[in-house]
Amino acid sequence: MRKFIINAIPITALALFILIMLSGHFLKKTVGISIPQSIDDIIEAVNNDSWDKAGNILDDFEKAWDKVLIWIQFSSERDEINKINSCIARLKGAIAAKDKSNALMELHEAYNHWTNLGK
Amino acid sequence: MNEGLVVCVRAIISFFSLLIFAKILGKEQISQLTFFDYILGITIGSIASEATVDLSSRAWPHFVGLVTWSALAYLMQLITLKWRYAAKVIEGEPTIVIMNGKIMDNVLKKMKFRISDILALLRNQGIFDLNEVDYAILEPNGSLSVLKKSEYLPLTPKDMNIPVKPAGISTELVYDGVLIEENLRQMNKDKKWLMNQLKKYGINDISEAFLVTLNDAGSLYVDKYKDDIKKVKDIGDYKGPY
Repeated sequence: MRKFIINAIPITALALFILIMLSGHFLKKTVGISIPQSIDDIIEAVNNDSWDKAGNILDDFEKAWDKVLIWIQFSSERDEINKINSCIARLKGAIAAKDKSNALMELHEAYNHWTNLGK
Repeated sequence: MNEGLVVCVRAIISFFSLLIFAKILGKEQISQLTFFDYILGITIGSIASEATVDLSSRAWPHFVGLVTWSALAYLMQLITLKWRYAAKVIEGEPTIVIMNGKIMDNVLKKMKFRISDILALLRNQGIFDLNEVDYAILEPNGSLSVLKKSEYLPLTPKDMNIPVKPAGISTELVYDGVLIEENLRQMNKDKKWLMNQLKKYGINDISEAFLVTLNDAGSLYVDKYKDDIKKVKDIGDYKGPY
């Protein structure tokens, strides 16, 4: 029994570490399930020139992103996370300026970074 | 992103992963370190440190690197254990550099060793006169093993025909105030005997003893927590801030 425990502890520890390091991909699909949908919703609002609606969805998107970040930060690259933060900041400016082209650029870039997160 | 927290978690992962892999690689790694083993240790340590602080990449690729290097080191160990020829090629073999008191200068040239290096290694072993040396062997880990000429070897009881009782190794009976009952049984003693012995040293309870050891010759070493030493001798040559 003692030998079993001595062998089981390191194996369990390594399994837990691997789980933490690879959890990003899984957590994106569970905790972060609303993120891609939010991006699509903002794209639709921007295309329809519904800037107020786009701004509201963006606020919800930012809150959802902050929640997801707590979980995925351990298995993701810092640069990808910072780029998404930058996209959100620039998107806010684009929506405030009612700049369709910039808004759409930032949205698609944000979507790309989200897809690459945890890969 | 909470960078401090992420670094903390990655540090825990790297630390314990490195500990587990080092245990798997075993004691051979420490006792027979060759130049390559040093490089291996440095590289594995470097990968573990990057896994901790390099937030620009994920922890997973660093972990894979760590596992790969450790697995290759383990594989190399297995190969050298099972296949003698591979062991000779990879780790090298001991080389005689001084034979019958004569320096093998062609061997030194082959090993790219200077005689001054050999003299330094001899001095590290307390040998300042080459006339004392019968054999000197350069080991694969770079250390020098020396056999002195018989007339320069230290005197032993056997040389004087003095019979001596074998001392054996010391076994810890009490460690940090805690009795190790298994060791006591191994030495064919019981707690009653131990307490009787400890009473002679003014110890009435096991918890008062810091360390107690016993060897096969019956020599008991006792160290108490209370050393009755008022002030530890200061052997430093500078007063310092404390």
